[in-house]
Amino acid sequence: MALFGTVLKSGISLLNCVRHFSTGTCSLVRMHAIPKLKQVDRWTEKRSMFGVYDNIGILGDFKAHPKDLIIGPKWLRGFRGNELQRLTRKKHMVGDRMMTQDRHNLEKRISFLYRRFNRYGKHR
Amino acid sequence: MFRAALSVCGGGVAKRLISSLSGEVVLPLNLRLPPNLIGVPREKRASPSGSDLPVVRQCEADIPAHLSPIQTWCESLGSQDSEPLGVVDLHPDVFSVPIRLDILHAVEVWQRNFKRISYAKVKSRAEVSGGGRKPWKQKGSGRARHGSIRSPIWRGGGIAHGPRGPTSYYYMLPMKVRVQGLKVALTSKLAQDHLRVVDTLEIPTPDPQYLQDLAKNRQWGDSVLIVDIGEDFPQNILQATESLKTINLIPAIGLNVHSMLKHECLVLTLEAVKFLEKKLLWHDCRFTPLYPFKYPYSDMP
Repeated sequence: MALFGTVLKSGISLLNCVRHFSTGTCSLVRMHAIPKLKQVDRWTEKRSMFGVYDNIGILGDFKAHPKDLIIGPKWLRGFRGNELQRLTRKKHMVGDRMMTQDRHNLEKRISFLYRRFNRYGKHR
Repeated sequence: MFRAALSVCGGGVAKRLISSLSGEVVLPLNLRLPPNLIGVPREKRASPSGSDLPVVRQCEADIPAHLSPIQTWCESLGSQDSEPLGVVDLHPDVFSVPIRLDILHAVEVWQRNFKRISYAKVKSRAEVSGGGRKPWKQKGSGRARHGSIRSPIWRGGGIAHGPRGPTSYYYMLPMKVRVQGLKVALTSKLAQDHLRVVDTLEIPTPDPQYLQDLAKNRQWGDSVLIVDIGEDFPQNILQATESLKTINLIPAIGLNVHSMLKHECLVLTLEAVKFLEKKLLWHDCRFTPLYPFKYPYSDMP
């Protein structure tokens, strides 16, 4: 009986190539059920009032500009630039108020970017 | 694959032949309403062109000779089942401009992005603490050569090309594009019957349920944006809209394309219509600014 079983198994392995070991790993993301969709409230105060006063210039006699509405760091309100421009503007406007380690990192980054943009590569 | 495509083409051709032979009107697939749709379908209101009601408001600005004013009903919020008070004339250069969806898209994207400041920042190899010393000597240890333990290829090291610092996405569209976006939005609201004109915002009770019943009876839709001129609103409507999420009240200065697209129905008062027409029509016949408009001009108030 045992011989018959082994013959059968070897026969199966010859025909279907059944492996007795695994060559892959399991996925690290394990889910036992389909995850629930997250409930997003589309009518919160912020979402329903988004964009109000964006046309304050054209509808409000040009006394204010939409860039005055932007809430953010002082050196980025109504300004757009690449990293070097942003960092030099930050140093100019806010640099004397910064902590020593932050200021040192800012200066290192500015000198690194200056050398990278102006000395290496195709665009200089 | 080809056989399936051929059968689909053959079926479509057969359908078109059948419809032309029988003479029935068969709507294309994208215009057909599904039979299990929840909610009452909107009934179209009668157009005010043939009615006997008086013209409550006429356009102050001159209308070009080849255009005629567009007419809408003027309603009242006083009671639930009040009839329209009259007919309102709207300027065609504000409420009947060619519908430029690309300008609408551009203005909507501008509104989303110009205020955006992304605060994502990661430390580069210079900013991560440590990593000044060479971990082991260059030659002889048998391991790969390294200069610092905080280089990007190390675990716990800095990120080479990550987001750097607060980034702003500010830009401005030309003023006339933003103005045209407002006009296109107003036109499309009127064309889809989602624009209502009201004489004043006086309501009898400060009850939010009154406004919700009003919106349901008059088929305003799920969300309503009420626009009035000026800062002073009647107390009743202020209290009623305070607790409601989908019915919002803004002054006319706060009108913008995003809010018009978010809310299904737009309710304007007569003064708000006058204000908007005056502000938006001025840009059609102004000179280009020699200096920003915020500084005084001799001929502008």
